[in-house]
Amino acid sequence: MNVQWTLLYMFVFPGFLFLIAYSMICEWVDRKLFARFQNRIGPPWFQPEADFIKLLSKEEIIPDAADKVMFRLLPIFAIAAVLTAFLYLPIWNTNAIYSFKGDLIVVFYLLTIPTLTFFLAGWNSTSLFSALGSVRNLTQLFSYEVPLLLSLLGPALLAGTWSISGISAFFLKRPELLVVNIIGFLVALVAVQGKLERVPFDIPDAETEIVAGSFTEFGGRLLGLFRLATDLEMVVVATLLSAVFLGGSFGLHPVLGFIIFVVKTLFIVCILTLFKTVMARVRMEQMMKFCWKYLAPIALIQLLINILVKAYFL
Amino acid sequence: MLKKLVKWARVKSPWVLHFNTGACNACDIEILAALTPRYDIERFGIQLKATPRHADVILCSGPVTKQIKDRLVRVYEQMPEPKFIVAVGTCACSGGVFKGCYSVEGGIDTVIPVSAYIPGCPASPEAIIDGVVKLLERIDKPEQFQKAQPILIGEGEPNE
Repeated sequence: MNVQWTLLYMFVFPGFLFLIAYSMICEWVDRKLFARFQNRIGPPWFQPEADFIKLLSKEEIIPDAADKVMFRLLPIFAIAAVLTAFLYLPIWNTNAIYSFKGDLIVVFYLLTIPTLTFFLAGWNSTSLFSALGSVRNLTQLFSYEVPLLLSLLGPALLAGTWSISGISAFFLKRPELLVVNIIGFLVALVAVQGKLERVPFDIPDAETEIVAGSFTEFGGRLLGLFRLATDLEMVVVATLLSAVFLGGSFGLHPVLGFIIFVVKTLFIVCILTLFKTVMARVRMEQMMKFCWKYLAPIALIQLLINILVKAYFL
Repeated sequence: MLKKLVKWARVKSPWVLHFNTGACNACDIEILAALTPRYDIERFGIQLKATPRHADVILCSGPVTKQIKDRLVRVYEQMPEPKFIVAVGTCACSGGVFKGCYSVEGGIDTVIPVSAYIPGCPASPEAIIDGVVKLLERIDKPEQFQKAQPILIGEGEPNE
């Protein structure tokens, strides 16, 4: 692979530029659907772009007590981690641009970095609301992380590989085995709501309780970058779920494969929006209880099923 | 070109902060009504934000009491530039019936600069939306408006 192709992959497609454009489209789909579910008209298609440009053009205010360098760098860390994670995900065929054995775990941990930056951001802003929000961020991390990893383990176990591209390729050969993972898929969908801090689990930025959580002191450009990171995270997570649980793009011709990628990620975004519409926010301890008492055991049952299937049918 | 793009973005995505400067709650209820799905102001890109750091527009309701004056200035200063203040309701425009009261400073414009006045007791949700949209039009095409003239909604000028 020569240098210009690598740069093209990293910065244009499917890296930086494409991902930003696509994440804005996904945010619009999310908001528009949410509005339609509430019988409203909803925002026009350019809304996320307008929000982003407006935030970039605003004044940047950094609290006196905050660490200025940290405050500026954290949003960039969040975006960088998410963009790096995307390079290991297969998009238009079963092979990711960069893939190696065990990239599932790497992607999983790259996706926790945004949560950690949110925590640090809140902690650094030295405001009471931010501190509360960041503590909730971390508490929430401990409750959804385990079920999510357990549910991602299922397909990996079935395919006998830790590589996302390998899992996609395996399901290309045995598409009927996708049905086995349906429980794991549901568990992952619920756990992902916690990761993305969306409505049933939007405890860290509950605006009725703690203003805007970790981002209370962030305004202008830095807030815009954090919002972008959250949007990107949604796309990356949707791609991850579609690659692991829905068989990726079935290894079809690039264009057709790309269309399937778009359809599948939008499908997952639609499900996330549906959750957002029908649910209300739960309390922190309710979420902990739910994740540890119900989600994690269900994910373990899925693992057991996968082991049995692997023993008798493979 | 870039300036045009920024102005377009600014007009298309005003985020509002609701701040009660001492109103009797009637205007606040109307502001909240304007934010409900029935009026769907997300069509204009308007979103309610909880912190002044995120907001572009403050919807102030009520006369400025002596006690809230410092807080209002503080909230105003916490907002990143560019920022716009909308005075919602007659009291916010001029002090209304509370003008001259021992505990009241006066209208919002006695403390911070105001970009749009929306009279009414209380101002109806339609009037609030109309006022904010007119403010956006003014930001978009400032040459169509005379300088230093408040935007008036409905008949007559607010009480001086």
